[in-house]
Amino acid sequence: MIACLDNLREIDLLSTFIRMLLAMICGGMIGIERSCRRRPAGFRTHILICLGAAMTTLTSQYLYTKLSYYTDIARLGAQVVVGIGFIGAGTIMVTRQRRVKGLTTAAGLWSTAIIGLCCGAGFYEGAVCAAVMVLLVEGVFSKFEFWLMHNARQFSVLVGYKDMDAFNNVIRYIRDLDLEINDLEITRRSGENGFASFSLRIHRKIRPDEIVRDLSRVTGILTVEEI
Amino acid sequence: MTQFALMIDCLRELNMASVFLRMALAVICGGMIGLEREQRRQPAGFRTYILICLGSATAMMLGEYDALMLASGWGESAAQPNTDVCRFGAQVINGIGFLGAGTIIVTGRQEVKGLTTSAGLWASACMGLAVGAGFYECMLIGFMMIVVTNNVLRRLESFVLTHSKTQNIYLEFDDIADLGAIVAEIKAMGASIYEVDTDRFRSNCADKPSAVISLRLPQRQIRTHLLTALAQTPSVRTVEEL
Repeated sequence: MIACLDNLREIDLLSTFIRMLLAMICGGMIGIERSCRRRPAGFRTHILICLGAAMTTLTSQYLYTKLSYYTDIARLGAQVVVGIGFIGAGTIMVTRQRRVKGLTTAAGLWSTAIIGLCCGAGFYEGAVCAAVMVLLVEGVFSKFEFWLMHNARQFSVLVGYKDMDAFNNVIRYIRDLDLEINDLEITRRSGENGFASFSLRIHRKIRPDEIVRDLSRVTGILTVEEI
Repeated sequence: MTQFALMIDCLRELNMASVFLRMALAVICGGMIGLEREQRRQPAGFRTYILICLGSATAMMLGEYDALMLASGWGESAAQPNTDVCRFGAQVINGIGFLGAGTIIVTGRQEVKGLTTSAGLWASACMGLAVGAGFYECMLIGFMMIVVTNNVLRRLESFVLTHSKTQNIYLEFDDIADLGAIVAEIKAMGASIYEVDTDRFRSNCADKPSAVISLRLPQRQIRTHLLTALAQTPSVRTVEEL
């Protein structure tokens, strides 16, 4: 532990202020990155959660050390771990394509609450390290994840087709290439053009743009678009 | 000066004056945060904030009351005359988490709303705990910081949002088969598409097909350009920025 911070480990007006300010800064840094990406939990949400969590550990430390009550110094903070789990659960949603979204946001919000706990308890080193790590994970690793997805063998394509024969041709084409269909969604009205969204698992032998090109040549296919 | 310090110390203990002062502070500070939210027509307003702040302060004081009673009279007949003063207060944090989760809604357009409201309610409950514990400094600093977050930092947030390259667009269009052309048009502008979420078409439903498209713009100047181009596409009925 860094020795020069030792006089900020006792509770007084200055250390209270510094801890809460640190919570605001840590929460704000993480939140502003989320706001930039237009995630549901943004700047203010992260600050408020981080600030609230810091207040809980400050309060229990105050009760324990200043007022000498019989208490468990960790009890208030421990409930934050549970309570923010509930708020985070609200950000998770199931999309219309039965996929789960918002899980990373919920996890980030929860981690921010833990950073707030560290700030409030005066564990400055832990709070700053964790905030930098979370920023790194959410900022840099998301690019890495996007790159992984781009080069992944997972590939989604939207296909508009005229009739059932054309659709069967598409299925046959995919079968012939030995591609695996992970997810298939068909929307069709009687007498009108059909529309299907495929999620394919592709192998090294064929590139996505080759699939798009070949699919658009299948008879009866109107549009092919990679997502 | 010493008399003032003595008075403050007296207010840190649990007595009639401090109980009243703490509750009054909880009502005033909770009310001021709530009033601002009410003016912005947020779901949790004036009375919600007051009740939550007051309730959490009272829960904390109840724990202190138990500790006080055990120290004075009740403890004599008990096997183990101590209780954890934080036990009531700790459950408040958990409970308000539940309550806050109820304010969060997912709209039909895949937006999550009410998250800042629930975070604000939760932070106010924590502020209520601090004042209930008699930790006035923490409570006042917390109150100021919550107010700053809700007012000053709101502007910073909207600035960040308007300068963001990532964008979510909600579209309604005539025929689901037009989506291919729309996606092609977005890509022609150099934007990369993260995700397209189409509405499952139901034949008994008269609604137009819709989609939520998440994309990343090459430059942010292209934002309005993209929206107008989409709006001018003949098959597109509604364009909305989420």
